[in-house]
Parts: sequence; C-alpha cells; structure tokens
Amino acid sequence: MGRLIGRLCRKGLGLASMVALVLLLPAVAANAEENTLSKETTACLKCHDKEDLTKTLENKETLSLHVSTSAFIESMHGKTDCEDCHSGLDAKTHGKEKASIASKREYSLSLQGSCRECHKKDFAKYEDSLHAALVKEGSKEGRKDAPLCADCHNQHTLRSVKILGPIAATPCAKCHEEIFKAYSKDVHGLERVAKGKSAPICANCHQTHDVKAASLGDGIKEACLGCHKEAVKEHKDWLPNAALHFEAISCPVCHAPGAQRRVNLRLYDEVSKRQISEKAGDPLFKKRTDAADLKETGLNELALYNLLKEFNKDGQGHVVLRGRLEVSSGVEAHQLADKSKAIKDCNVCHQAGAQPFQSVVLTIASPDGRPLRHAVQKDILNSMLATQSVKGFYAVGSTRIGLLDNLLIVVFLAGVGGPLVHIVIKWLFRKERRKNGAAAHADSQAQPGDRRADDASK
Amino acid sequence: MDKIYINPLPVRIWHWTNAFGFILLIATGLQLRYLDVIQVMPFQTAVQAHNFVGFVLIANFFLWLGFYLFTDKIKVYHPELSPAKYFMASFRQARFYGYGIFKGEPNPHHASAYRKFNALQSMTYQIIMMLVVPIQFFTGLLLWDVARFSSMVEMFGGVRVVDTVHVIFFIFFTGFIFIHPYLASLSHTPWAHFKAMITGYEEVEDE
Repeated sequence: MGRLIGRLCRKGLGLASMVALVLLLPAVAANAEENTLSKETTACLKCHDKEDLTKTLENKETLSLHVSTSAFIESMHGKTDCEDCHSGLDAKTHGKEKASIASKREYSLSLQGSCRECHKKDFAKYEDSLHAALVKEGSKEGRKDAPLCADCHNQHTLRSVKILGPIAATPCAKCHEEIFKAYSKDVHGLERVAKGKSAPICANCHQTHDVKAASLGDGIKEACLGCHKEAVKEHKDWLPNAALHFEAISCPVCHAPGAQRRVNLRLYDEVSKRQISEKAGDPLFKKRTDAADLKETGLNELALYNLLKEFNKDGQGHVVLRGRLEVSSGVEAHQLADKSKAIKDCNVCHQAGAQPFQSVVLTIASPDGRPLRHAVQKDILNSMLATQSVKGFYAVGSTRIGLLDNLLIVVFLAGVGGPLVHIVIKWLFRKERRKNGAAAHADSQAQPGDRRADDASK
Repeated sequence: MDKIYINPLPVRIWHWTNAFGFILLIATGLQLRYLDVIQVMPFQTAVQAHNFVGFVLIANFFLWLGFYLFTDKIKVYHPELSPAKYFMASFRQARFYGYGIFKGEPNPHHASAYRKFNALQSMTYQIIMMLVVPIQFFTGLLLWDVARFSSMVEMFGGVRVVDTVHVIFFIFFTGFIFIHPYLASLSHTPWAHFKAMITGYEEVEDE
C-alpha cells in the first residue's frame, strides 16, 4: 500500500513538473528572446565583460571599461546596441589602435549627445535645469563637479524607475551628501525605507531633469501640496489667515521644528509675477548691494529704499519686495518631522524677538536660477521708514512698528493723564468756582430764569 | 429738573454693544500685538475673539446707520445747517472744557431731544462714525483674510500699510475709551449721562 502511494506520488510530481514546464516554457522563451543581444553587442561584451578591463586616461585617471553582460541585459538599455551610443568607435581599429581620452569628465561630455538622441524631452528639460547651468558654468570656470547624464545614470546598469532600489543608491546623494543624510532621517526618508514608493524621494519634489533652485519660486510648495492634497483645507480648519500663511511661509518652517528660520525678501516683478533675475554678464545685484552696504553690516531702511528705486528704474516701477519665511539651509529643509510634531504654537512667530525674524536676507535669482543673497538689518522689519519697502510683509506682533508702540504709550498716558490733570485743575479752582456759583445764585435770585453755573464743577 | 427722552432704544443697544465690543477689541488687539508683554489668552483665541467681535460690531454699525438714516433723529447731528454757527459753538464748547468749567461758567450747550450733542461732540462723533470707524472696520476686514482680499490690500499699499492704519486707529480708540467716559461725567451730575444712556431719559436743568 505504502509503495503504491509512493509510486502515485512520484507519478503525480512528475506530472506536475511536466505541467509547470509546459506553462513556463513560453515565458522562458520570451525572456530568452528579450535577452538576446545582437551579434555586435555580444562581440563587444566578449571583451568588455572583464572586471579588470581598464584604460589609463591622459590625466592619469583610470576608466573602467567593464560592462557586466547580465547587468546590461537587465538594464533599460538591454535592447540597445553598443554602437547606438558609442557611434564614434570604428570596429576595424577599436582595440587595436590607441584612442586618446583626456579625462573621465571629457569622455562623459562627449557621450551627452548620444543620450539626447533618444531622450529628447528629458534632455531638453535637463538643458533648462540648474544642473545644466552649472555644467555651462563649469566649462568657463573650471567647475568639474556639475552633473552630466552619466553622473546620475550608469548607462550600462540603469534599471527602470519603477523598480524600487535602496535609498542609498539615489544618485543625488553623491553631490548632496549632507542633505541626503538629513532626508534619510526625516519623515519622508524613514517612510521611504518602510513603505517604499508611497513616500517621496529627491526626484518627487525636485523633479528629475528640470531641477531648479529649491529656494526660488513656489515649486517645492506645489510638490508638497501635490501629495498632501488635503493640507490647505486641514490648515484652514484651525489656522487663521491660512491662505496668507501658505503664501508667506515655506512648509519646513513649521514642519521642520528644529530648523533655524529667516526672512527672505525677494525682488519680484509685480507685472510678470516672477522673481527678478540678474542678467548674465551684468552682476547688478552684487554691485548695488555692495555699494549700499560698504560697512557690511547689512542693508538698512534707506539703503533698501534706494536699492528698490534703482531696480525700479530697470523694471519700470514694478519691482517690489516679497517677503517669505523659510528655513536657513537645504539640510534644514530636509529635517521634516511627523505632522504631530509640526509647530502649531503661534507664539513661535507672533511676538517681539521671535527667532524667525532675527535674520533677514535680500534675494535675487542669478542668471542660472540660483539665489544671490545679501544681508539686511533685521531692524527694518520694525521700522516705520521701511513700511514702503516691505509693504507686503507683516507678521502680527513680531514685525510691529516700534514707533507705533511709543505712540500707544503716549496716547495711553494722555488718555489717563488728561482727565487726571483736568480733575486736579478743577480742584485747584474749587474756591473760585464756589465764589462764582454764589454770585450767580445771588443774581438768579434777583433775576429768576437766568442759567445757573454748572454743578458739575462741585 | 425736566426729563427728556434723549436716547432711543436702538441707540442705547448700539452704544453699549459698541462700548463693550470696543473694549474687547482693544483687549484682544493688545494681546495680539504684545504677546511678549502680556499673555492673558492664547494667541489663537485672541484672533478668533477679535474677528468675532469685529463682525458683531460691523453689524452693529449698520444698526446705528440704519436708525439715523431712516428716522428723523439724524437731526441730532445737524440741528442747524450753518457751518459758521457750528464752528463757533464748537469753539465755545472747547473753551468751556478747557477754561470755563474751572471757573464755574455755565455749559454753553443745552440738551434737547434734537440737540442732544454739543457742537464739539457732534463734530467728533461724525468724524468717528463716518470716517474712523468705517476705516477701522474695513482694514480689519482686509486683515481678517488677507489672501481673499489681496487685490484690495495691494491697492491700499500692502498688508503692512493696511495694518499700520488699523493700529493707528486702534491707538486712537484706546485713548478714546478713557477720554469719552470722563467727558460723559462732566454733566450736572457725574452719572447723569450714564443713566441717560441706560434709561433713555436725561434730566435737564430748568430754563
């Protein structure tokens, strides 16, 4: 009986294996087909799938020429032939004649065009980005760390963005190390590790290719509200003037409770509704702010007023300052806490001496989009003379005008003191009033119907 | 002493609502502005109370306006349409408070149902009710929701300018709240005007 059962089981297993094989066969076949490399690519990889294959460049850097066949097949470029990107190579001479490459950087730069061939839209976005601006700047000023395609994407191993990789593999971390460290410990980073794609990583807020300076414009706030769709409504439920708070305060100011904050006064064109930018090759902002602040103590009311006047000459009178509260650094902007820890205490901002108003900067966008800043004296926020310059920025309590405090004291003293002085004078004149009252009484006795003196003086 | 009905019920309701409302607005306004000096209530409570009382007083203002526009009582502000007489009477009244009262001179103003204010009072109240109070309510409304009224706030020079105007008038009302009761006490008895604003009837001296 036992043997019979054993035979049946073996037969059953055999049958199951057959069924599984039949079912899986098309998939295996398809996979094999997908992973089929062209003859040319296979030939390339025959040599290049050697880990120790390197080349010493003119600047003595060592360029690894290793391409893992398996990683390449699994990569997004698995169906691309080597020649598609490395079109400059001549199969007849490649590997036989020594090709000269100046540096890794130069080599990556020479391959940028290959990326553009296929990724036209993303490349156009990249060309308009801060990263591309830094690359252009690099070509002039020798800055060699601005990111090229290859700095963020390893062309031979890159996987689909749909595949969740470890957050440490995020290419942004290579340059923005401190910010990434802060992010990995904040509410988004921890959530990303715990829950995967439902939590944001760099590109979700800063975009992948059209990266802009985070401190300019409202891009990042829109990114926050893109996910936290109920945020505006939820804030309106408890926060007075919620819409104004959204306009004048960046999210991390309250949601990164440990951050240092400051007031950013941005030069803004009221007509085009855009921040003012420096023109390339004409550093007016630096020239003007330096000239207005020779002692380097920060711009005062008068300097700020005159500076605005100068910018208004260029901007046909439409240049204003738009104030906004923000955190002091990119690292602090990535120290976001759970919303239960966000600042809800109005006292943090709405009283004299509040920390966020102890530092003030004036900002303009540089030609490449990065902010250029100059310090402003914090006292301008409490000065009557700066009312016109910072007319659009006001926080109850903390940026109150000092002169009005003095006026309130004077009026209060007059309101209390005036009646007291009046009472004292009345008291001093009491005898004369009594005398005049008696005289009037006597007159009225003689001439009935005449008005009597006011008894209130008694 | 005769008694005349000088303060009709709507005026009395308006007056006391206004009086307590303004005291609350001043108190909550002080709390909003000077959180570093006094902390009687949380900032958020002060904001909510300030906004609520503000709206009550805006409605109350229209009660006052409606009453005077739709009754003949509006005459109390202009018993005679003679600017020359009006300014002379104002001057006489100011002289009385600043000099004559000390010497026991008679009050140049004699109250009646359609002449309840002296000229100085009438002029001050008209400026307050037709200019200062509406500006204060209007700037308060803009500050209540700056983003909603952003175009108007911009038109008036920005939020800092609107707030500065609001604060200047707040300071004015802070002074008014002391001066007004004192002047009200300068009747033939210190409480006569107060009683009149409660009962509606004022005792006037026999002619």
